Amino acid sequence: MLYQSAIPGLTNRRSAKGLCLLCLLWLLAGGFPLASGKAPTPAPIYSLPADQSAVILRKPRAARLREFRRQRAFQYIQIKSEQNAWDRFWQRLANWLQELLRTPVGRITWKYGVYAFMVAALVFAVLKLLQVDVTKAFGRAPKRAALAYDTTTENIHALDFTALLTEAEAKGNYRLAVRLGYLFVLKQLTDRSLIQWQPDKTNHDYLTELTTTQLRAGFQELTRQFEYAWYGEQPLTAEQYALVRTARLGFLHQLTSNRAA
Amino acid sequence: MTSDFSSPDTDSTTIPSALPENELASTNKTETSFGSRTDFNQLQTAATAIRQELGRIIVGQQELIELLLTAILANGHVLLEGVPGVAKTLTAKLLARTLDVPFSRIQFTPDLMPSDVLGTSIYRPNKAEFEFRPGPIFASVVLIDEINRAPAKTQSALFEVMEEHHVTQDGVTYTMQEPFMVLATQNPVEQEGTYRLPEAQLDRFLFKIHIGYPSTEEEVTILQGHHAGRGSAMLSAVQAVLTAEQVAQLRQQVQQQHVEPKLLEYIARIVGQTRAHKSLYLGASPRASLALLNGAKALAALRGRDFVTPEDVQYLAPAVLRHRILLTPEREMEGTTPDEVVKLILQQIEVPR
Repeated sequence: MLYQSAIPGLTNRRSAKGLCLLCLLWLLAGGFPLASGKAPTPAPIYSLPADQSAVILRKPRAARLREFRRQRAFQYIQIKSEQNAWDRFWQRLANWLQELLRTPVGRITWKYGVYAFMVAALVFAVLKLLQVDVTKAFGRAPKRAALAYDTTTENIHALDFTALLTEAEAKGNYRLAVRLGYLFVLKQLTDRSLIQWQPDKTNHDYLTELTTTQLRAGFQELTRQFEYAWYGEQPLTAEQYALVRTARLGFLHQLTSNRAA
Repeated sequence: MTSDFSSPDTDSTTIPSALPENELASTNKTETSFGSRTDFNQLQTAATAIRQELGRIIVGQQELIELLLTAILANGHVLLEGVPGVAKTLTAKLLARTLDVPFSRIQFTPDLMPSDVLGTSIYRPNKAEFEFRPGPIFASVVLIDEINRAPAKTQSALFEVMEEHHVTQDGVTYTMQEPFMVLATQNPVEQEGTYRLPEAQLDRFLFKIHIGYPSTEEEVTILQGHHAGRGSAMLSAVQAVLTAEQVAQLRQQVQQQHVEPKLLEYIARIVGQTRAHKSLYLGASPRASLALLNGAKALAALRGRDFVTPEDVQYLAPAVLRHRILLTPEREMEGTTPDEVVKLILQQIEVPR
């Protein structure tokens, strides 16, 4: 037996289907209310009294309205400003160009002009990527950017070494005297084109530039003295300074002799 | 004679045209009593010995060796960069051998964790407590091989130890044994499987040293040594030259180097210029100024001077600044290198004299 029915006697499939159909019909017909036999009670209708109160019309204040009208947010119509001379110039230029491009010659020029511009842009991009300097092709030497030297620094060509050295020696400021003497030597070497004076160069750069062997040894010793006295801030006695001075004078003499030879 | 000055007796700017021969002879031999106020004998001897020990194996690379010695004296870490096969690791290993201090090596890999470097706390059941087990970073000379193979997470673990020389784990701070020096090697970032080091990490290295290819003559010498089988024998024969105490003593000497105030300004202007240069997206930090100063003091000592000169600053500027600056994208696309920008900056600043 396939189905075990709750109602005795309904033992086959057809009987079960019939029972389901009956239940469905009963539910659709109203179910329990039908079963109880009572009709639904209609809801009572209440009538409300009509509103008799007087309506007071409130108008916005005229001053407030004027204030709103003045505000930019309430101005829906854009007032065009009058064209000035510059705008009229551009307008005329645009009109002229439009007229020009309407002609057959203008149309052809425009068409090929765009192509030419595109080709030029492409060539520029390729040259830029390959880092090719085309300025050399026109015989122009590449410009070297000017160095941002501090303008407050001393210019050895403008210093009055005689006065400064005499003053430093007289005051017993031998450290400063050594420095001024060394700068004077650098000036002399520059004036004779034995070194190329550049503010960013170190003393040893100048030493490397000196190709004359005899001068090199003397300059090396002067550099050593200057470095110990200036950078090393070693105290100098009058006797020690006298030795430094003699060495400097000897080097300057050698420089003159070398020049004469 | 071209001088405009007269009165040779009193004026020391006058170029003497006719000094007596005997006086002239004496001026050529004149040497003042200038000399170093600090005794650098021990330092010079140690530096020479280290150069000799390294020179047994390393062919050429004199600049590299000088910069490494400078870093030891300046208490700084070094990043060695070069393509594979240019003896980066070998150089670092040999340098560590010349110092009689604890040495460790960490091979950085992509899966390395911070605890693999710093150490970790492990539970001891018999004591019923956690015990800190120090990682390989706890040594005096630490060779981090291929540092840019590890990701940023592991790199970050090195920040504290490299800058402050201590490690904090579970609320406890462990101080490193001095000297503490990290020697890291890396392949250029364009290589496969590498990460760019964070800027904060790079800033902690005193120098970044490029190791290039040897010259043909040097390569022949390398081949001759290898062919004769000298390599491995020499490697084990490298002797320790300096102890930890000696290194500390030499560093103290270096700290007392004299620096003229104008040179401090010179250093500050160089570093400051990196922050304003139009080719640079990121300039160097004040830590770079300190690095340049410390490096210059150490280099001056190595060169036998007790004071710093502009040459020292200029010589070290590329090694100190090249890893601390970032080029603008336009300059990078044009193929400009940080070294070129540093050179330009040096050209724009007057040497104090």
